[in-house]
Amino acid sequence: MTSGMVRTWLRTLLIQASWNYDRMIGIGMGYASEPMMRTLPGGVGGERYRAAMARACAYFNAHPYLAGLAVGAAARAEHDGASGEQIQRLRQALTGPLGSIGDQLVWAALLPFSSAVGLALTAWTSPLVGVIAFLVVYNTVHLLLRIWALSAGWRGGLQVASQLKTPLLQLGMRVGRPVAAFAVGVAIPAVVAWRLQDFDAVEVPRILLGAALVTLTGMIVLRRIWPSLGSLRFGVAVLVLAFLAGWL
Amino acid sequence: MIEHAPWLIVWGLVVGLDLVSVAQTMIARPLVAGTVAGLIVGDPAAGATVGGILELFALDVLPVGASRYPDYGLGAIAATATASGAPWLFGTGLGLVVGLVAAYGAGVTIHGTRVRNARKLQGRAALLDAGDARAIATAQWRALGSDAVRALAVSVMAIGLGMAARRWVPISSAAGVYLVVVALGAAVAGAANGVIRVTASERWFLFGMAGGIVGVILV
Repeated sequence: MTSGMVRTWLRTLLIQASWNYDRMIGIGMGYASEPMMRTLPGGVGGERYRAAMARACAYFNAHPYLAGLAVGAAARAEHDGASGEQIQRLRQALTGPLGSIGDQLVWAALLPFSSAVGLALTAWTSPLVGVIAFLVVYNTVHLLLRIWALSAGWRGGLQVASQLKTPLLQLGMRVGRPVAAFAVGVAIPAVVAWRLQDFDAVEVPRILLGAALVTLTGMIVLRRIWPSLGSLRFGVAVLVLAFLAGWL
Repeated sequence: MIEHAPWLIVWGLVVGLDLVSVAQTMIARPLVAGTVAGLIVGDPAAGATVGGILELFALDVLPVGASRYPDYGLGAIAATATASGAPWLFGTGLGLVVGLVAAYGAGVTIHGTRVRNARKLQGRAALLDAGDARAIATAQWRALGSDAVRALAVSVMAIGLGMAARRWVPISSAAGVYLVVVALGAAVAGAANGVIRVTASERWFLFGMAGGIVGVILV
């Protein structure tokens, strides 16, 4: 990585800071791209630099960890002298896939998996071990993904689409979600058992039955009757009822 | 508790920024935010308990760009401020109520910040469209500053709410039991619903549950 790429990579960590409903992460993309645009012919403030910066901060949306791929690819295309129209088409073409791949790989697999590891270790060992394991597992993959994205984008330029067929990425998308689902499944009984430890042993069957009834009701409400309610609002509603019941 | 409030607010600022604006290293997850808040107030068990239960709720959230979602990290800090040092049933039950309310409120403020960001950018559109690098950097850092102010303000309010609830909300030990049982049940429903929806792997989730139950019995 050149020093410009390192600066750009650091700036991609802030790519969502100016998230808004008009340009989405466009401003963050422009801000992150800037160090890599400084070496364009004409230098900082030159015609090509300003045109590239204008394109870089236009509307864009993608998963934040993979947005570096678009930053790198667009910067490479600018250096290769691609036309403005080609670069805009490249950005448009990347929006959907980078969002979809990132959501499947990170939000639907890596995050629930790491969370499950953290929860299970919190329950079975200690909270500190759980938290450290969660952060290490998650951020090892997260930071490597960000590094790979920027490097792959720079390598690929206008041909960057081929980088998305990387076997490791495909494997992650194929097995990530089932593994995460399995891990969360393991973690839930561990957390419940951990919390039941503090109750009197005589009370545990009654408490377990009560919690199971709430879970069952919640699953029926959230999956069948009112999916848009969300677990938070369901949780607040049943907690208010429980509070009133306990108070009365 | 009041002596720890400034440090909790600083931690809230860090957590609030990590949620979206800075790096997203997941220190804003309730398990992490709650446990660290517990260490700050000298009651890591309380922080881990409310953080762990709120983490299950957070598994129901897919934090995709334009979606609106609760800020469970700040919720976990508020919940810890409520629960720390109290008898566990009382503290955990009330802490979870406060945590969920704070998480919802903090989530609403994220939407407000995004709307404000868009409005401010519209006023500088000509400079941005001309590729003015200084205007782009200014817009980026001002938006980051706005989010920091949001995180700070929400932290103060959420921690204040927790301390006020702890002091003034009347609660019996029976109510504490009800609250913990119901919160645990609702959290499990949220996590199961979220994971099945997000991963589309109901079968693997059920295999995992079976394995987890066997593991709990053996351990």
